[in-house]
Amino acid sequence: MSHQPSPPAYAELHCHSCFSLLDGASAPADLAAQAAALGLPALALTDHDAVYGTPRFLRAAQAAGIQPILGAELTLAGGYHLTLLVENEAGWHNLCYLISRARHTAPKGEALLTPDELIGCSGGLIALSGCRQGEVAAALRRDDRPAALAAARRYRELFGPANFYIELQRHRRPEEAYLIPRLTALASYLGLECVATNNVHYATPDRRRLQDVLVCIRHHTTLDQAVHLCRPNSEYYLKSPGQMAALFAGQPAAVANTLRLAERCRFQLNYGLQDLPHFPTPHGMSAAAYLRRLCTEALPARYPGAAAAVRRQMIYELEVIERAGLSNYFLLVWDMVRFALAAGIGCQGRGSAANSLVAYLLGISPIDPLVHDLVFERFLSSERQAAPDIDLDFDAARREEVIQYIYERYGAAHTAMACTFVTFQRRSALRDVGKALGLAPEVVAAALAAAAETDETEKEASSSLAYLQELAGQLTDFPRHLGIHAGGMVITGRPLMGRVPTEPATMPERVVVQWDKEALEEVGLVKIDILGLRMLSALSEALTHIPADADGQPVAALPTTFDDPAVYAMISRADTIGVFQVESRAQAQMLPRLQPRSFADLVVAISLIRPGPIQGNMVHPYLRRRLGVEPVSYAHPLLEGALAETLGVILFQEQVLKVARDLAGFSPGQGEQLRRALGAKRATAAIEQFRQAFLAGAAAKGVSETTAAAVFEQLKAFGGYAFAKSHAAAFAVLVYQSAWLKQYHLAAFYTGLLNNQPMGFWNAAVLVNEARRQGLTVQPVDIAASQAGCVVEEGGVRLGFNYVKGLGVETTARLLATRAQTPFASLADFQRRVRPSRRAAERLILAGAMDGWGLPRRQLLWELGSLYLGEPELELVFPTPAVDLPPLTAVAAMLAEQEALGLSTGEHIMSFYQLWLAARGILGSRQLTACAAGQFVQLAGLLVVHQAPPTANGFHFLTLEDGDGLSNVIVRPAVYTRCAPAIRAAPLLVAAGVVQRQDGVVNLLAERITALPEVS
Amino acid sequence: MTWLWPQGQPIVVVANDRADPVQFTWQGGAHRVSGITRHWRVDLGWWQGRVWRDYFKLSTDTGLLVIIYRDLTQNEWYLQRLYD
Repeated sequence: MSHQPSPPAYAELHCHSCFSLLDGASAPADLAAQAAALGLPALALTDHDAVYGTPRFLRAAQAAGIQPILGAELTLAGGYHLTLLVENEAGWHNLCYLISRARHTAPKGEALLTPDELIGCSGGLIALSGCRQGEVAAALRRDDRPAALAAARRYRELFGPANFYIELQRHRRPEEAYLIPRLTALASYLGLECVATNNVHYATPDRRRLQDVLVCIRHHTTLDQAVHLCRPNSEYYLKSPGQMAALFAGQPAAVANTLRLAERCRFQLNYGLQDLPHFPTPHGMSAAAYLRRLCTEALPARYPGAAAAVRRQMIYELEVIERAGLSNYFLLVWDMVRFALAAGIGCQGRGSAANSLVAYLLGISPIDPLVHDLVFERFLSSERQAAPDIDLDFDAARREEVIQYIYERYGAAHTAMACTFVTFQRRSALRDVGKALGLAPEVVAAALAAAAETDETEKEASSSLAYLQELAGQLTDFPRHLGIHAGGMVITGRPLMGRVPTEPATMPERVVVQWDKEALEEVGLVKIDILGLRMLSALSEALTHIPADADGQPVAALPTTFDDPAVYAMISRADTIGVFQVESRAQAQMLPRLQPRSFADLVVAISLIRPGPIQGNMVHPYLRRRLGVEPVSYAHPLLEGALAETLGVILFQEQVLKVARDLAGFSPGQGEQLRRALGAKRATAAIEQFRQAFLAGAAAKGVSETTAAAVFEQLKAFGGYAFAKSHAAAFAVLVYQSAWLKQYHLAAFYTGLLNNQPMGFWNAAVLVNEARRQGLTVQPVDIAASQAGCVVEEGGVRLGFNYVKGLGVETTARLLATRAQTPFASLADFQRRVRPSRRAAERLILAGAMDGWGLPRRQLLWELGSLYLGEPELELVFPTPAVDLPPLTAVAAMLAEQEALGLSTGEHIMSFYQLWLAARGILGSRQLTACAAGQFVQLAGLLVVHQAPPTANGFHFLTLEDGDGLSNVIVRPAVYTRCAPAIRAAPLLVAAGVVQRQDGVVNLLAERITALPEVS
Repeated sequence: MTWLWPQGQPIVVVANDRADPVQFTWQGGAHRVSGITRHWRVDLGWWQGRVWRDYFKLSTDTGLLVIIYRDLTQNEWYLQRLYD
């Protein structure tokens, strides 16, 4: 019988990824792929005191076809390291608990455990004695055999002899000549087994350079000074079984043991709805029964005289929800909405929940799915086991109250926010790598400037600059530190600490889990998005500013039916500045062509101007087809079902799934993966795989390859950057409601917007100018009349003290309190009682807030100066001579007001140029609208928006404003290059070019742009 | 007494298939390796001039105790240290 020697086998049990922040130099996916390429059957991820990378690692391991092993390397008191591997569920809980505990007792970003804290938390974990910084190895390196024995005995007792292994590492360092024999001797003396690991810090040897640089960034030093901090060679890469067998030729059992341990560590994460807390139902009712009761109770109000069809749909949905185990989840979400509504906090659900009647009945979604033709199966279907997706938008100003409510209701031990990974961007990577390389700041600055201008990386003569480019490229997108996610909350029934590691966040008292949004989705741990939406704040506030009607009744609510033709007419003429989502330049260009007439049209409007439809070239075909200029056609008859509602173009996210299903037979799951891959930044390889599957699937359905390839190209261009229809529908509610306010309650509308800046597309100055153009009086800040925020006064808007830079909340409160007692008699009186900073007082004067005494602003400024002069203790009497100062010119006053408030309620700055421009035949916005297409004209205005969207291929879009309105200027790339200095230098511009007109939209295609000279 | 050549003395080495030295020739004399006591690898200074070497501390049947290294960028061997 011939005996073939079996090939060497080895599993790597000690490996750091880039989620060992500023230490590991390869991403989990690269490590998994390399491990598979080397023929390793299993790979453990053991990042420092963290499981940040676990979900990405699990996905990568699955893709690479290797067994993932979960674990971490803990930092213990004394700086010792200990490698832990998870054998089973209990081990995972203990690991989570230990990491959480270590993180919560150490300063932010660090971790520390005392050996005692391991007691009672070792079950289900396999411990390896660690690298040269392990307690045992460290003692042996300093020749302290008794300490090494004591430590090893302690771990053996803690984890049990079968679960504690002496870790052997060979990195070709001189000390190994004695360290390995000492470790193996100790192991056999204590009856312990050895295991070989390579303490991997990067997938391939070339990444060692990046690892050195990470060490330098971590220690704020340069490579030249970090020789003692960096590892002495490049041996910390993933090695093949053959390499490891050769290195450990003298200890074959240590290599064989890696496979025995891998065999034991087959634990898989299993999260789901069961992790949510149980909603306390009354009388111990089941969640499903209580949910049914709530819906039934809500039915009469939502659907007076509810038809049998409505009831049938409700019962059907409730059954699907119950079967999916989602009843409890719905109750939890309902509870948050109920709290918010009871507290008067604006709130509405977004996401696919809007497809659900139950969500509508519970008040979670503002959309009646039956009226708006939204299909429940897109939210939840019996065959699709997807995690539920309900995101809640709250009044941004009051979102914190909701978060506090959730913390109190479920307890701090059960509640945490998702984290975000703040990653290196190209610029920060260049800066930090440059510092590590010891490059002069000017050199790095030059590289940064080059990076900003073009993408072409010149082949540098100098190797330092080549390294700078190469390493910064590798570092880009690496996680750098943790932040708090704006709204993703994780709430668990059992304490979080044992379910997923948590750590303190930058915000005091806040705790984050070690996973970001994407990672939570990956492992299926349910999160609920508590988002802040400023438009909801603006709308809630606007309601309070609507004057009571003739009967003295305040307007209680925003409309919930969406059928007022006047509102649609206003939107159709693009009179939408300030209106949610449809106010941008691009929307204003599109709306007059789309002519929205119904709620469904609004859903289309906000979905059209998205990167996906724009890049996929869907916008113009859609508009042409809608106008009947072009027939509706489909790339293949199979697509009609998916695309009929959008006239044959892809507009909504879920249409990607439908197209993939109908044309190529993709399952919903595959479709979802495809959509994600299309939306991911660097997924070229994954997309190519999907492309092959797509072409094969289409061929099976008899679709020609040319057609299938063309459709796939469309999907690719679409990229997944689009709204889901249900999401767009939820947003369309806010479009309608804000437009309704603008149509009927202009003053309240602008007041709500002005008090919730920054938000939307236009800044406050444009909003104020637009309000005035619409005939609204906007009164300046006035110390005798203004309130803390803007208010409605005599049908117009009175600006509030919130617009006076630097005045501050406290000073404002003092002002209001003391003014309530007696009006201010003089500047001196004001200063004495309100005590604002000198800058703030100056701004009040310049903003015209003190004009009420009838004194010129210059004189007030002079007085203010003398008040401060008189302040020192010297008992000198400073005479305040009645100086005769010429008043500020109108232009100077306007500019000063602009400076003090960020806006001006007076004349538009362009009005000072009227005569000058007229004399030269230069037009304003109103005259431009009267020009014929093709006419060559000059146009002047204040630059209020400058856009160069990545989807526009180098075109720039300028919006110029004057007293009469806004004008659009399109700048071709070549013209921009020529005129960029003028555009960047001055806010007042003259654009010369050709007038373009289409469907009521006027643009100026610029040939030349120059700055206006200053006026005085 | 130790002899140290910071720049290294060029030597000719015969290595086995694991790249371990088995014999070297220095100043005309052949020295067969009788035992390798330590072996380590250095890979430093990549950003300014890479030092990439395999070091061996070994004894010979001629009674020498030496440190020699193979420069892995040039694939040349050098004698660095001789313990007297």
